[in-house]
Amino acid sequence: MPVTQSPQRAPLLRIAVLLALAAILLAAADQALAQSAPFGVPRPQAPAAAPEGIVGWLLAKQAEFYRALSGAIRAAKADGSAVWGLLGLSFLYGIFHAAGPGHGKAVISSYVVANEETWRRGVALSFASAFLQALVAVVLVGVAAVLLGATARGMGEAVRYIEIVSYALITLLGARLLWTKGRAAVATFYGLQAEHDEFQHAVAHAHAHSHAPAHHHGHDHAHHDHDHHHDAHCGHSHGPEPKDLAGPGGWQRGLAAIVAVGLRPCSGAILVLVFALAQGIFWAGIAATFLMGLGTAITVATIAVIAVGAQGWARRLASSQPGTGTLAMRGLEVAAALFVFLFGLALLTGYMVNERMFPA
Amino acid sequence: MIRLVLLLAAALIFAASGVEKAQAHPHVFVTVKSEIVYDAEGKVTGIRHAWTFDDMFSAYATQGLDQKQQGVFTREELAPLAEVNVTSMKEFGFFTEGKLNGAKIAFADPVDYWLDYTDQMLTLHFTLPLKAPVKVRDMNFDIYDPVYFVSFALAEKEPVTQSGAPANCRLTVARPDDGGAQAKTLGESFFNQPDPKNPFGSQFANKISVRCP
Repeated sequence: MPVTQSPQRAPLLRIAVLLALAAILLAAADQALAQSAPFGVPRPQAPAAAPEGIVGWLLAKQAEFYRALSGAIRAAKADGSAVWGLLGLSFLYGIFHAAGPGHGKAVISSYVVANEETWRRGVALSFASAFLQALVAVVLVGVAAVLLGATARGMGEAVRYIEIVSYALITLLGARLLWTKGRAAVATFYGLQAEHDEFQHAVAHAHAHSHAPAHHHGHDHAHHDHDHHHDAHCGHSHGPEPKDLAGPGGWQRGLAAIVAVGLRPCSGAILVLVFALAQGIFWAGIAATFLMGLGTAITVATIAVIAVGAQGWARRLASSQPGTGTLAMRGLEVAAALFVFLFGLALLTGYMVNERMFPA
Repeated sequence: MIRLVLLLAAALIFAASGVEKAQAHPHVFVTVKSEIVYDAEGKVTGIRHAWTFDDMFSAYATQGLDQKQQGVFTREELAPLAEVNVTSMKEFGFFTEGKLNGAKIAFADPVDYWLDYTDQMLTLHFTLPLKAPVKVRDMNFDIYDPVYFVSFALAEKEPVTQSGAPANCRLTVARPDDGGAQAKTLGESFFNQPDPKNPFGSQFANKISVRCP
C-alpha cells in the first residue's frame, strides 16, 4: 500500500512543503517590520493587529497586570508585607506576557522540534532561558544603573548591543540546525529513491505471501522482513538516524539555545527594576523580575511540551509509512530549523534597519 | 497521512508566528492634553501638546540624570531629554496624524518644547506647527501609536481645547472606548454623527475633529 500511493503523493508533498516554506518566509518577513524604540524602551517587533479572542484577552490581562505593577511597587515601599502582592502579580504577568510577544517560545519550540528533543529537555531549556533572561535584566540594571549611574539612554544602548548578539546567535543556531537537518533530509530523500526498486520488489513479495492460506502469519512475516530491509538501507547506508544527529553533548548543545533566547532582557523587567530602584527598593524589583521569569518559564515550557507532543504524534503517523513518512519527519525538522534561522535573520535585520532608534 | 504531517508542520509554524504577531502591551502610558492654536486671522497654526508619562516610564527616563536636589528635576536639567524626545518622535510622526480640509496635515519640526517633573511624573510640552497657517473648514486628527507600544489616553477633563478659534469652529473629541457613534462632544453638540469620510480606524485612536461651517 504505501509504495503504490507514494508516487501520487509526491507532488502533493512538494507543494505542501513549498507552501509551508512560503508561510515561514512571510511570518519571518513580518518580524522585520516596525521594530523601534520611542522613548528609549525597545519596542515590540510586531505591527499592531486588532487584538481579539484569546490573544486579545491575553493582551488585556498582561496589560492589566503590568499597569498594576507600579502601584504594587509603591505599596511595597510603604508597607513591606505588600511585597507578596507584588511577587504574585509579577508571576502572573510573566505567565501572560510569555504567551504574547517575545521570541523565546517560538525559538525554543522550533529548536526542540528540529532537534527532536524530549519534553524534559524542552522544559529544562525553557526554565534555563527564562532564568537567564531575568538574570541579565537584573545584572544590566544593577551594573548600569546602580553601580555606574547610567541613564536610560545608556541602558537602552546596552540593550541594543545585547539584542544584536542575541539575534545573531539565534541566526547562527538556526543556520547550524539547518545545515545538519538539511543534510539529513537530503540523505533520506536520495536514500529513498535508491530504495525504490528494491522496495517495490519487497512489497510484491509480501503481496504474494498474503495469498497464502496462512494469511496472517505470512503477511506479518513478509512485512517484518520488509521493515528490517528498509531500515538497513535508509537508516544506516544512506543517512544517519535522527537520534544520531541529535547526538550527545547534553547541556553544551542546549547552551547555545539558552543563551540565544535568554540573553535579551524583557523591557518590562527593566522598567520595573528601574522603577523599584527609584523607589529605593531595588531588592523588590529583583524579586519581581525572577518571579516574572518563573511565570515566563511555565508558559514557554508548556508550549515546548505541546510542540514535542505534536511531533511525537506526527512521528507515530509517519511510522505507518516508512519511506515518505521518514522524509516528512525530516522535512518537519528542516522546516523548524529554517524557522529558527529566518526568525533570527528577521530580528537581526529588523533591528539593523531601525538602528536610529532614539533613547529617552 | 503525509498531508496530516505537513498540516501539523504548518500549524506549528503558524502557531509560533501567529502568537509572535500579537503585539506587546504598551510599555509607555501617556495622558494627553492638547490645544489647537489659531492666529489673529482665525487660521490654525498648530497643535500644542502636553503629554504626561506614567510614573514607571518617568522613573526610567530620568534614571541617572544629573540633579542638584534629590527628587527634583528642573526644566534645565531635563532640557537634553526633551530635546532627544522631540527629535526622536519625528520618525513616528509625533504620533499625531490627520487631515485638514481634506489634505494630510504637514507638520514642521516642533517648537517651544520642554519637560516638567511633578509628582514623579514627566510632562512633555511641545508645539507642532503647521507648515503654513490654514483657515479650517474641517480638521480631523488622531493621537495614537499604531504599534500600541505607547498608550495614549486623553486626559479626563478638557483633554482638547482651542485657543483663539473663530466662533463657528466646533470641537469634537472621541475616546477610543467610545466608538465612533458616541463621540463625546465638547461645547455644543450639534455634530454628533460619525463622518463616513473619516471612519474610526483604530480602536486605540483618540479622534479629534474641528468643523468650521
